[in-house]
Amino acid sequence: MKRRSFLKKVGVAAAGAVAAPYFLPSGRLFARTGTAMVDHVVYVLFAGGLRQQESILQRYLDDSQGISVQGNVLYNMLEGPAPQQKVLYGTNGQLPGDSPIPMLLGSTIQKQGTTFAEVNSQVVGHYSGLNALITGNYLYTQGLRQKPLIPTIFEYARKHLGLPATKVWFVGNGIGNSTPLLNHSLDENYGVDYAANFMAPTVTFGVNGMQHLSNAKVYHPEEELDPMYKMKFFLDQTAAIKAAELPGVKNTDAEKHDLKQFMREMFDKTAAGTIAHPPVADNGDMRNIGYACEVLQWFKPTLTVVNMSAIDGCHGNFTGYLRSMHRADHGVAHLWNYIQTQIPSMAGNTAMVIIPECGRNAVPNPILDENDLASYDHSDANARRVFGQMLGPGIPSDLMIGSETSPVGEVADGVLTVAELLGFKPEMQSAGYVLGNAQSWFDRI
Amino acid sequence: MKSRNAMIYKIPLPAFLAAMFFVATLVMPGCRKEDNYIFDVNSISAEPQGISKDFVKSDHQYISILYANLFQKALSANDLVEIIDLIESVGDKETIHEVIISSFMNAPDKIIPTDQEMRDDLDKFVLDTYKRFLVRNPTQAEITWFKNFIEANPKVSPELVYMAFALSDEYIVY
Repeated sequence: MKRRSFLKKVGVAAAGAVAAPYFLPSGRLFARTGTAMVDHVVYVLFAGGLRQQESILQRYLDDSQGISVQGNVLYNMLEGPAPQQKVLYGTNGQLPGDSPIPMLLGSTIQKQGTTFAEVNSQVVGHYSGLNALITGNYLYTQGLRQKPLIPTIFEYARKHLGLPATKVWFVGNGIGNSTPLLNHSLDENYGVDYAANFMAPTVTFGVNGMQHLSNAKVYHPEEELDPMYKMKFFLDQTAAIKAAELPGVKNTDAEKHDLKQFMREMFDKTAAGTIAHPPVADNGDMRNIGYACEVLQWFKPTLTVVNMSAIDGCHGNFTGYLRSMHRADHGVAHLWNYIQTQIPSMAGNTAMVIIPECGRNAVPNPILDENDLASYDHSDANARRVFGQMLGPGIPSDLMIGSETSPVGEVADGVLTVAELLGFKPEMQSAGYVLGNAQSWFDRI
Repeated sequence: MKSRNAMIYKIPLPAFLAAMFFVATLVMPGCRKEDNYIFDVNSISAEPQGISKDFVKSDHQYISILYANLFQKALSANDLVEIIDLIESVGDKETIHEVIISSFMNAPDKIIPTDQEMRDDLDKFVLDTYKRFLVRNPTQAEITWFKNFIEANPKVSPELVYMAFALSDEYIVY
């Protein structure tokens, strides 16, 4: 063999030996370089416009209304006694004596996990805040009613973990405020091919869904759908229309069938009143949490992002804000409790990360609610202050990082924290889209 | 007589011709019978001869047309808005379209041939279905394929054929 030929063959063989192990059955080109801490992550976007004063600082009416009553409204999430007077956030709505929702968890999330007490949000709007939470960057040029311009956490997860669409979910609390746009970005390296399944279940399975969709047939996959898809395939092949691309996530035929079965089940359970709602489910956020539990139960997703927003009623109703906060705490507790007690395959190997999208103002607007309490918008420096929590296997328990006077962390840290939990943080960092000073919370501890 | 003729021939020929032409231009148009023209438009086929559909239908267009195709009447504005919201509430648009179509198929007032009607005259069924959904005539190859497929699959119903058309790429464009 000639020297040149020998060297060429050796080179080809060496390249093949290096590359071959990385063509994985999952469809990924390269094996992930990080190590997963858990098999599942639930990432809770804990509403927009949560004041530090009424949440982690537990000042209740003292700071906002000049009424000297303090206490902890989020007593599933945070350590601290509940207010003893002027309870406005309960379930019967009668003052005084409104009935607070009993604590669900045996131990608070603060005790079970790690809390970042004072986190910086560089943006104070809902969509910009949500974008920061799911992309890890503050997209100052991001327009409303526009898909994120850089990759979302969903796309990183699907691309770098080789996940099918039904293993990555965004459970939105509605279809307003650009929420349905967040399940994938417009980035050419990621984009719709790695989109999450999105559902706004309170819409899909609400009154209109019951009227227009609940009657839908579920066809037999082999006897009916198979020939139907063959006919569709023939039509598509003969027409060969390039423009005919519906937007949105693409599931495989098997996943589509599974999704339709899930929807059928949800319509039946909704009609029967057996959705896994929290014990108190008297607002949209809580019903959304209930359906999120059902998504977890059915699909056992690797990554689930759940959105809440009722707290934002604080623009004109401070009493409603307190009630929504109290319910958001109840909902998060129910979600965690449900995973641990009702989904055996996720119990013990699921982590949860909770971050609000932005804070709320220090100074009230002129609107007084039914109890003459002042309302708050989100536009000043106080609205850049939030807190965050995480719990699950491998996450330090009963650990508090930062304080009101020493902030630690960024809202944009959320995606890196999730990526570290699922083992694709190096790929996310090397992609180069995440904010330069964002860090995984594990790196900040 | 002879002397009169001699007088006539004394008029110079160019002058005579000019006079005749002048008289003719005055008299002849007024005497000419008007032609009876009938203007009309030739019958031509308005159906597209090829597939040149380049624009994706909006959800509003898709649902409105689908409903009209299946029920032969218009969908109410309220129902349209509600169904559009439902489409937006699910990320997988193909799946939610399927669910909506299958829900329409369960409605008692849909207008759809029976299995017997379909199989009694497959040529007509295929032709009608192409015109109904795709607004064009099928090619002979398309007719033949569908006839063979339906004959070979006794469980293929008109409902499944309609569903395939409603989900086809060509149906979502115009």
